Amino acid sequence: MTTIWNATFISELLLSMIRMATPILIVAIAELYSEKAGLVNIGLDGIMAFGSLVGFLVSYITGNPYLGLFAGAFGGIAINMVYAVCTIQLGAEQIVYGMAINIFAPAIASFIYKIYFGISSSLISAQLMKPLPIPVLSHIPYVGDVLFNHTPIVYLAYLLVPLTYVFFNKTRAGLNYTAVGEYPKAAESLGINVIRTKYIASIICGFLAGLGGAYLTTCYISTYSDGVVSGRGFIALSAVIFGRWAPGGVLLAALLFGFTDALQLRLQVLNSGMPYQLLAMIPYLCTLFVLAFFGIKKAGPKANGKPYFKEER
Amino acid sequence: MEAFLKMENITKKFGEVSANKNINFSVAAGEVHTLLGENGAGKSTLMNILMGLYQPTAGQIYLRGEPVRIDSPSKAVKLGLGMVHQHFMLVEAMTVFENIILGVSKDHAVFIKKDRMKKEILALAARYSLDVEIDKPITEISVGAQQRVEILKALYRGAELLILDEPTAALTDLEVEGLFRIIRKLKKENKSVVFISHKMREVLEISDRITILRTGETVKTLKKEEADADGLANLMIGKELVLSDYKKVASSKEKVVSLNGVCYQKSSKHSGLNDVSLEVGKGEIVGIAGVDGNGQSQLAQLLTGVIGPESGEVFVKAERISKYAPEAFIMKNVAHIPEDRNKMGLIGNMTVTENLMLKRLKSDEISYGKGAFLRRRAMKQSAEKLKDKYDIRCASTEQETRNLSGGNQQKIILARELEENPDLLVAVHPTRGLDIGATQYVHDAMIASRDKGCGVVLISADFDEVLKLSDRIAVMFEGRIVGIYPGENPPIRDISLAMAGKVE
Amino acid sequence: MKLRNQIIKIIVPILAILLSFLIGGILIAAIGGNPKEAFLYLLKGAFGSKANVGESFVKATPLIFTGLAATFAYRCGVFNLGAEGQFVMGAVVSVYIGTTVTGLPDALLITVSLICGAITGGLWGFIPGILKIWRGLNEMIVSIMLNYVAILFMGYLYSGPLREGSVPQTAAVTAKLMRLFGLSRMHIGIVIAVVLAGIIYYFMFYTDGGFKLRAVGLNSTAAAFNGFPVNRLMILSFVISGAIAGLGGSVELHGTQYRLMSGFGQGYGFDGVAIALIGQLNPIGTVLVAYLFAVLRTGATTMQVGTGMPTSVIDIIQALVIVFAVAGSAFVNLPKVRQFIVGASFPENPLKRKKNTPDAIEKGVGES
Repeated sequence: MTTIWNATFISELLLSMIRMATPILIVAIAELYSEKAGLVNIGLDGIMAFGSLVGFLVSYITGNPYLGLFAGAFGGIAINMVYAVCTIQLGAEQIVYGMAINIFAPAIASFIYKIYFGISSSLISAQLMKPLPIPVLSHIPYVGDVLFNHTPIVYLAYLLVPLTYVFFNKTRAGLNYTAVGEYPKAAESLGINVIRTKYIASIICGFLAGLGGAYLTTCYISTYSDGVVSGRGFIALSAVIFGRWAPGGVLLAALLFGFTDALQLRLQVLNSGMPYQLLAMIPYLCTLFVLAFFGIKKAGPKANGKPYFKEER
Repeated sequence: MEAFLKMENITKKFGEVSANKNINFSVAAGEVHTLLGENGAGKSTLMNILMGLYQPTAGQIYLRGEPVRIDSPSKAVKLGLGMVHQHFMLVEAMTVFENIILGVSKDHAVFIKKDRMKKEILALAARYSLDVEIDKPITEISVGAQQRVEILKALYRGAELLILDEPTAALTDLEVEGLFRIIRKLKKENKSVVFISHKMREVLEISDRITILRTGETVKTLKKEEADADGLANLMIGKELVLSDYKKVASSKEKVVSLNGVCYQKSSKHSGLNDVSLEVGKGEIVGIAGVDGNGQSQLAQLLTGVIGPESGEVFVKAERISKYAPEAFIMKNVAHIPEDRNKMGLIGNMTVTENLMLKRLKSDEISYGKGAFLRRRAMKQSAEKLKDKYDIRCASTEQETRNLSGGNQQKIILARELEENPDLLVAVHPTRGLDIGATQYVHDAMIASRDKGCGVVLISADFDEVLKLSDRIAVMFEGRIVGIYPGENPPIRDISLAMAGKVE
Repeated sequence: MKLRNQIIKIIVPILAILLSFLIGGILIAAIGGNPKEAFLYLLKGAFGSKANVGESFVKATPLIFTGLAATFAYRCGVFNLGAEGQFVMGAVVSVYIGTTVTGLPDALLITVSLICGAITGGLWGFIPGILKIWRGLNEMIVSIMLNYVAILFMGYLYSGPLREGSVPQTAAVTAKLMRLFGLSRMHIGIVIAVVLAGIIYYFMFYTDGGFKLRAVGLNSTAAAFNGFPVNRLMILSFVISGAIAGLGGSVELHGTQYRLMSGFGQGYGFDGVAIALIGQLNPIGTVLVAYLFAVLRTGATTMQVGTGMPTSVIDIIQALVIVFAVAGSAFVNLPKVRQFIVGASFPENPLKRKKNTPDAIEKGVGES
């Protein structure tokens, strides 16, 4: 085992980490936008599943993975609007409704796939997005390949982190947005439109979660199958908690989870003799251990998960 | 005087219930106009209408002589109205500065221009002598300072009229004086103030005019010169004020509870206990007076086993407590009327019957085999009895308690806690938010319980209530008991001073 | 009023089901099918033969178990999304016992195996429970992660140590649950499931333990103030919930599948959550909804063969039921709608109204 830790292995591992962390990062930031407005959305897995189907389908039909990616994002918005209307307007319990989305969205995705490709189709592949190496930077030895030779969506994902940080910490809109998740009644009394903010949050969340799902089928695997998301939505949820609701923290958490995923994949490829099922447990077990050791007690927006009614007493 | 604000024939209905009926109210520039009334008189509804949170069912609002429609809080802010709510609308996770600029859109800048805005705020603060530490998180400043932040917040938004909703409720006397200085300053700058309160002394001190509301209607508007405390009280309640005529009793030698040098999070002045020693005898009411947030909640939680002391001892009926858990205290026959009946007292989604039976699940009256089989019919019958005995008004005992009024909810808690003849009753703000009838009922029940031999600890921020009921009065300040006074002819001045932390 | 509440609790899911079928029908029409024909095939598939009727009970059995598991946890205010993992772990232990222990009579072996399955499921459920109480972790995330761990572990077993033959699957257990009425594969597991539902119903509504558990689920602070051991109850409810799911896994193994292979237990966890929510967290409702889901699934195959409509139409209908049922429950609980429902139940009585006015005002608009 000691011999595998050579330069190629490590650079492959890091490259893979960046790639694996990307969907988790995007979706965790989706959740961050949702929770900052007081909406806990545990339906991420479902939104991702739908996004991955739409992304795959559009990419397959048009041959253009970029179109697929964006279509996936808009698919995410569409699904999340169901969640938004029910939790914001009807005050449905957010956890319960998130669960409903987790059941509902994959069912639709699977249905559409079967309708389009027939009941008993073999695996169908679509075009994957090609990496876009950044000139000059990608030629730096080791680092260049790890950091600057990715699909554009990867750059975008990492760009989201500082953008989100600036939004929440430096802009007026971000401050107002935060107030909605902390103390909606106070926000309302200051003329901030709580309901609208929550809808905006749901749109952003749906867009990004759909994008994260579509990433899987347009940039990562060239096929769609049920269960392609395999719990990444929940890992993203953990990343938000572990990242303490701060963009930087979320990035670190996503990288950590990406690393464990990359590690198990690399080890599988190396054929180290370990059964792949045991290796595949690593990311899930790591998530558990990380949360158990660091993710102590509640934090995050105060009014998180609570319904808000305008004429509440 | 030309009216800055005029509200004409305002009516607001919630379903069938009218919260406001044809209310007329006006405020001139540079005037302090008090709205006086009991809980539920419609003050808050009227102000929420003014602030655009509710829409009136009928009526018209004029500002500077122009008819206006205030359909949102932001519209109200634009029109120069600002409100300081009784429960502050401050985001605890943010700093003073962030709270002040929240929601402001004077220019359309995307980014927060920190330096410039700070300068503006500090200038404003200086002008009205509002002393605030602008970079501190809200959680680290005192209640009085939080109130100043709220005022500053409104002024920063260009408020011409400020509504202060029960602004003195959580303040010490000293802080009240500071607030009144600020209000006078506002007057001088020609700002209008609506002052909401039910404390006569303060109302008479600060108001130019006083409007009394009762059950949603305007009773009368008086000039300050025409008003006196008794007259106002009568107008407010609608009948002659009944003062305390409960008999005060002497302390019994037999103690039901003794605290001996109890400490809990000593360093926290607002939520800790510092070397508290207190004894409560059989059949007496010990009132704990003090401004909210001086350790009273912790004292109540300690006396009911929700928290345990970090040092010191607690004896219940001369037995030293070793296990601090609510169930252990309940076993020792300690009853509790918690401070928040919805959060701590009742399970809102359970029925009246179920809530009444919470502590008797193992009793043979309602179950076979010590709770192994609950007899639903017996539970219902038992509940019906309690319902009649404690005058709980509900459509059915199978109704969920969350749909009941505060008074009836409190009666359910009383029935549950007092029916078993407890040895110790810990009552925290037992009449908060209740109407006069329900308040009287709760007071009578507590006295009756005392007369049966129950030792009562009454914790209340309502000083009048403490004076009315207590046989002895202990004053809490910053986690300490700073004085114990007799309940018979209490030295009110000394007690007030003690509440502000001044003990000779 | 209680009656009215109860009627609404029944009406909401029924309306949700009808609405979902309506939309399902539209969907079938939209993709060129004939909804009437499709639904007829669905019915035929579910009730057309003795075998099919029995098959519905076979399919309902595991769903009842995971549905009850979700109900039990949620009643105590904790979300067990890990029923699938607990189900799988129960089956894993049972397959081990069933294929290695010899010399015991079948009945005894199965009893031991079911008990061990329940215990294992309980232990698997204990982990999210204890982590929630001890470390403040979100129990949903923990239980989901444990699902993946359990499924991968099962995969490791049937393709590694417990593999039999060339196909990745374990050997079959020989001790099998008794078949019933000669209705296809229907076995005594359904009886166990229904009896269990009855026991849970009794526990929940007729014992002090169940009362306390529900109290914790509805308002844990008030429950604590009233002397109920909140943490202990939460952990207990997770353990019992896990045990119910684990037992379900064992029953499924000994009654229907006999061996572990890819896809064992797949989706039962989330199905259980959906069933529990549609069944209004009532054990009896859970049984009924689980049966409905099973009927749909049995019929779906016939429908697919008969009309070419994919079985996933049924998945969509099921998913729609949950979406509508939850939204519907929230809708009837909206203050305004509630007022309408409650208000309508009282004939206008001006005298009574007047007496209640101050209270009502306080309730409606009181200062905070």
